[in-house]
Amino acid sequence: MRVARFLIRRLVTGLFTLCALLALTFVVYWALPSQPSRFVYPYAQQLSNYQVAHANHLLGLDRSKPVQYVDYLRQLAHGDVGRFWTGSQLVDNKKLEQTPIGPTLFPSLRITLSIIFGGAVLVVLLALPLGTLAGRRIGSVEDRAISGFTLVGICTHPMVLGLILASTFGTIGLGWLPSDGYCPLFRGPTDQCGGAGAWSEHLILPWLTFALLFLALYTRMVRISIAETLHEDYVRTARAKGLPERRVLQSHVLPSASLRVLTMVGMEIGTAIGVCIYVEAAFRFNGLGRQAVIAMGGASFGIDLPFTLAIVFLISVIVIVGNLAVDVLYAVLDPRAGRETARGREKPLVGGVF
Amino acid sequence: MRRTRGRGSGGTPRGPWAAAWRRIRRDRWTIAAIVALALVIAVSLVGGAIASRIVGHSGQEPFPYAVDGSNLHAVGPWTHVPTTSQTNLDQYGNLLPPPKGSPRTLLVLGGDGPLGRDELIRLLDGGRTSLEIGLGGVLVALLIAVPLGAAAGYFRGIVDAAVSRLTEALMAFPLLLFLVFASARLGPHLNGVAWSWVLPRGVFSDALLIGMFTSFYPTRLIRAQLLQLRNAEFVDAEHMVGASDVRIVVRHLMPHLVPTLLVWSAVAIATNILLEVSLSFIGVGVAPSTPTWGSMLSSVWGTIYNPRTTDPNLWQTLFPTVGILITVVSLNQLSEGVRRALEPRAVT
Repeated sequence: MRVARFLIRRLVTGLFTLCALLALTFVVYWALPSQPSRFVYPYAQQLSNYQVAHANHLLGLDRSKPVQYVDYLRQLAHGDVGRFWTGSQLVDNKKLEQTPIGPTLFPSLRITLSIIFGGAVLVVLLALPLGTLAGRRIGSVEDRAISGFTLVGICTHPMVLGLILASTFGTIGLGWLPSDGYCPLFRGPTDQCGGAGAWSEHLILPWLTFALLFLALYTRMVRISIAETLHEDYVRTARAKGLPERRVLQSHVLPSASLRVLTMVGMEIGTAIGVCIYVEAAFRFNGLGRQAVIAMGGASFGIDLPFTLAIVFLISVIVIVGNLAVDVLYAVLDPRAGRETARGREKPLVGGVF
Repeated sequence: MRRTRGRGSGGTPRGPWAAAWRRIRRDRWTIAAIVALALVIAVSLVGGAIASRIVGHSGQEPFPYAVDGSNLHAVGPWTHVPTTSQTNLDQYGNLLPPPKGSPRTLLVLGGDGPLGRDELIRLLDGGRTSLEIGLGGVLVALLIAVPLGAAAGYFRGIVDAAVSRLTEALMAFPLLLFLVFASARLGPHLNGVAWSWVLPRGVFSDALLIGMFTSFYPTRLIRAQLLQLRNAEFVDAEHMVGASDVRIVVRHLMPHLVPTLLVWSAVAIATNILLEVSLSFIGVGVAPSTPTWGSMLSSVWGTIYNPRTTDPNLWQTLFPTVGILITVVSLNQLSEGVRRALEPRAVT
């Protein structure tokens, strides 16, 4: 019951965060100078006052600001992420034909989620043994070597790392793996390729790039967790029972250490999307990170508001749902959950890298 | 806090800082990190100027003969190239060999990219700009975080609620996208702030924006710590003798935050340097002509819109990456060492 209440509270906080971020996007858009009428009349040299007013009307910018915001929320609640301003066509001087954002955005979403999901699994698979090895004896040679190796992963930028991996193992280099392009897990009618084999084959190098970046963070986390757990009374009890060291680590120390890793995976989803910008660029995927950079940084006439809002919405939803999923998992795995998870959930410092 | 029992020193009182410094002095890895950092800072502050005096050219000077015309690869380390910036081309636009006996100059670490500038001097100057951005970002972040976090943690109530909800909402979103947005929209207005070689174009705006968007972390750190501290007995005592809130916060609570902020700052300088690299790869960082470690890397590998996969120059990847590696690893070790020295009872 307490867990349920805790989850509901988290859900409400998440919804609040979502609305706040969308409101912030609107406020920033209104605060910055922009010429939305340029989206309607891209070729006009000089816009008349009528044209500006007309364009604002067609784009729905002549409504009052709170109405625009509430209308947008209502539209989202109906499952519509909106239509692009970029590339809109004026038909008969009175109707605007716009491309819907959904068909562009949702395929790129699956790319980014594939990278993050597989990458996270790989990080955990690598970080648990490495962190355990390092955490058993802090300050030992293994510990130093592992820390040094993982820090190299952080300092080599994912873009550089990805491009080096692609040109070494990809089709240009050794030719072991495809060096660019994406294959969906479930092949749709318009896809070139698909299926689990092709999917994972195209994603091995991106996953590796992703994992090497996050490895330092997670190895350090597991290392500290292990080192602290080794001093717990129940570990001493386990040793006193005469259990072999391997068994002590496996069934007494690691479970509690992995819980901490799990919460971190949930908290780092926002960071992971930031990293995906570079992983996608290095392997030429048209993923969410790339779309986000285009929406945030690169429209020629100023900000494409619906596109930016859709990106903000989608990323916030991913982060919130990810956090919630980890909370649920945590509640299932740790019977004490509920109160404890709410506290001590500060984002770790090094996590701000991207 | 104060320790009065010194080992064999006749019972002279020793402050927590002296005790911490004694612990750091015994930690040879942290000492190594401090030495490495001092070297990096010294070399990037004056190294570029000294090196350009010794070899006799600046980091901005292009050497056309340091570039292979066919694939635009620069020459490798320790190459003597003709100093002339005038090029004699044949009718097909190929570079003719330089006239016999023309003066030559030394490129210690080879040339950079298609322009053939001195890689060593650019590396040293780039180190300075990268460190400036890293440190400047931390200062800006602290300037924002200290008043905000102190207000939230000390006064609680509605200020705390507002600050906490705001930082929570903003931290849910990828930091990098905020930075891209701000650099693309505000960068052009801020780029004008420059001051000779000390503050090249774009460094101010990078430091300011990075600082603004990384200030959430220290804000939360300060808030969390003040929430604990404000219930301490010495705060009640201050109230009783009639000290004002500002005085309590500034004179009596702030000193307790210094260790935390020190540990955070060391890591934050490192992450800011990495963030600058990331911004360069998106093409919204400093002007491409200003050398930073990030812009040097992105001049080799391209931006995210146009990544380069065909035979990039590995030398030019290696040097900035090693610079970043040394700096980041040292800062990381320093942060760890300081933390361990200030709270010796921690296990790790």
